[in-house]
Amino acid sequence: MKAKKAMLKAVFYIIIATILIAVLVPFLSFLVTAFYSADEVYNIPRPFLPKFSYDVKVEYKDDMYYLSVYEDGLEDFELKIYSGKAEKLRRYLQTKYSVWLTDEELLEDFSPAKSGETLYLNYKKDLLYNFKTFFSITNGADKSVLNSIIAAGWTILISLSIGSMAGYSIARFRIKFKKQINMSLLLVRMFPAVAVAIPMLVILIKMGFANTMLGLAIVYSVGNIALTAWITNSIFKGISVELEEASLVFGANRIQTFFKITLPLAFPGLVACSMYAFLAAWNDSITALILANSNPTLSLLIYKAIGMSGEIQLAAAGAVILITPALIFTFIIKNYINQLWGDVKF
Amino acid sequence: MKKVIKKWFPYLLLTPALLYYILFWIRPVIRAFAESFTDLEGNVSLVNYIAIIKDPIFKEAFLNSAGFAAVSVILQFVLAFMLALLLNKKFKGVNLLLFIALIPMAVPPTAVAVLWKTGFSSFGWINNMLYRFNIITEPIKWLTVEGVNALGFLVLIDTWTVLPSVMIILLAGLQNLNKEYEEAACVFGATKWQVIKDITIPILKPTIVTAIILRMIAAIQVWMISVMMFGYGRVPFLVERIAYYTDVVSEIDTSYKTSLAYSVLVTVIVLVSATIYLRINSKKGSE
Repeated sequence: MKAKKAMLKAVFYIIIATILIAVLVPFLSFLVTAFYSADEVYNIPRPFLPKFSYDVKVEYKDDMYYLSVYEDGLEDFELKIYSGKAEKLRRYLQTKYSVWLTDEELLEDFSPAKSGETLYLNYKKDLLYNFKTFFSITNGADKSVLNSIIAAGWTILISLSIGSMAGYSIARFRIKFKKQINMSLLLVRMFPAVAVAIPMLVILIKMGFANTMLGLAIVYSVGNIALTAWITNSIFKGISVELEEASLVFGANRIQTFFKITLPLAFPGLVACSMYAFLAAWNDSITALILANSNPTLSLLIYKAIGMSGEIQLAAAGAVILITPALIFTFIIKNYINQLWGDVKF
Repeated sequence: MKKVIKKWFPYLLLTPALLYYILFWIRPVIRAFAESFTDLEGNVSLVNYIAIIKDPIFKEAFLNSAGFAAVSVILQFVLAFMLALLLNKKFKGVNLLLFIALIPMAVPPTAVAVLWKTGFSSFGWINNMLYRFNIITEPIKWLTVEGVNALGFLVLIDTWTVLPSVMIILLAGLQNLNKEYEEAACVFGATKWQVIKDITIPILKPTIVTAIILRMIAAIQVWMISVMMFGYGRVPFLVERIAYYTDVVSEIDTSYKTSLAYSVLVTVIVLVSATIYLRINSKKGSE
């Protein structure tokens, strides 16, 4: 009995360890990749943590600087490049080792080598190099972040206003076809986005919204209005009618009651709806690919970036930026998961 | 007058949603359906569908999508259910474990693809790790896998991402479960496995159906992970074809129509499989 219990305990801990490893190892390894220099990314084996600085050896022969960099694997300096041009050396250090220098700084540091002595220098690596470079070399990267935020903003605005009205109506009033309305809301949520996105292309071009974020938000809102209606329905149901009636008895009118009593109570739920809407817009790429190919969102831009360049550490930096708000919002709304599909009985 | 307003007020609140859905859901969907059955001159014809069916890559894409959906849904459900049972227990650090287990759910699909690309490329962190633990001496070229193996690859990556979202739906169901039934069964001498099979699963059924149907719908529409890992056409999927016709060959006249026809196909497949699944379930339930 005792042996069996000990074994069960061991199995239990093995499972927990497996979960931790399966989640954390990929996630952290990926995060680290965003901080590697180009040199590190193409070096196997490499340390698990990115380097913070590089040891550099500089020699001067025949009007040229000979630049060597310390390699951990060799435990020695290795000659990397020789040139008389400061610009070439500077660019090499920058693209390969994420070291920022100006030509003047480089010459100032290197010139003592001219007297024949061997210089040993230590250069700090810019850990945010990939993030800066992702924005400077990827065409329209700054704009894509803005685009994602604008698309998300429109989606929140449209789905919250239209959806919460519908949700309030379904929760508070006896209306005909309630069951049918609920079923259609569910059907909308299950509908493939592509089925709407492709025909919407022609409609949006006619409306003049092709390649605009409002156009994208119109498509994102299709699913999100239904979701918002669904969530707010259950929220307003949870707010007791008596509270509203009491307010009416004390002389407040319906509108005052709504803004002073109902809305503050529903606020956390509405925030959750907004975050769902945000995530729908922020995470999407197929709709953006169809409707806004020439004015991409961040998600679409990263999708494209990985296809064209071999510089995976830059795409990783972009992806880290994409993950950050998604991570925060997902964890805030995870408690609303029950309401995501309501207590649907299929 | 006031009475009339009062009577129509709830419907007034529903009107914007209704209008929105007529304009931006029903209209485009009908349009897609109608247009997919016309040729470039606008005559009614099956030419778009015939072109798709004649294209050998369609069969591959269809089989891949179907296979991917079937395997990934079953695998993910079983794993998620076991995880949910584990995390439903009370033990020290369970909240932290839950928090960590949920991380993949929060990673946007594009970032998931980048994440695994940084892992599976020849110089990726997976090879680096194997190297450092002295398991390999030459980098393994993971991304050259073909056929079924490549599909299996994608199932694993997809499972990593969506397992938490399936698990959390099931966990929410488990937490709402009335513990007394399970306790009663235990008192009457049922084993743990019997309790799960005869008490937990039947009571949890609506939640399970929800979780499975959501996964099924999403799995049929998988595409991006395939394109970002392998490029277009290596492991084709139905929605991957739509992306291909919009992204790669959009300048060809027929591309728009072809992608429309594909989108109608995907919609029909999603709706039909969801309906079949629900039918089977309600039949089982009434027995």
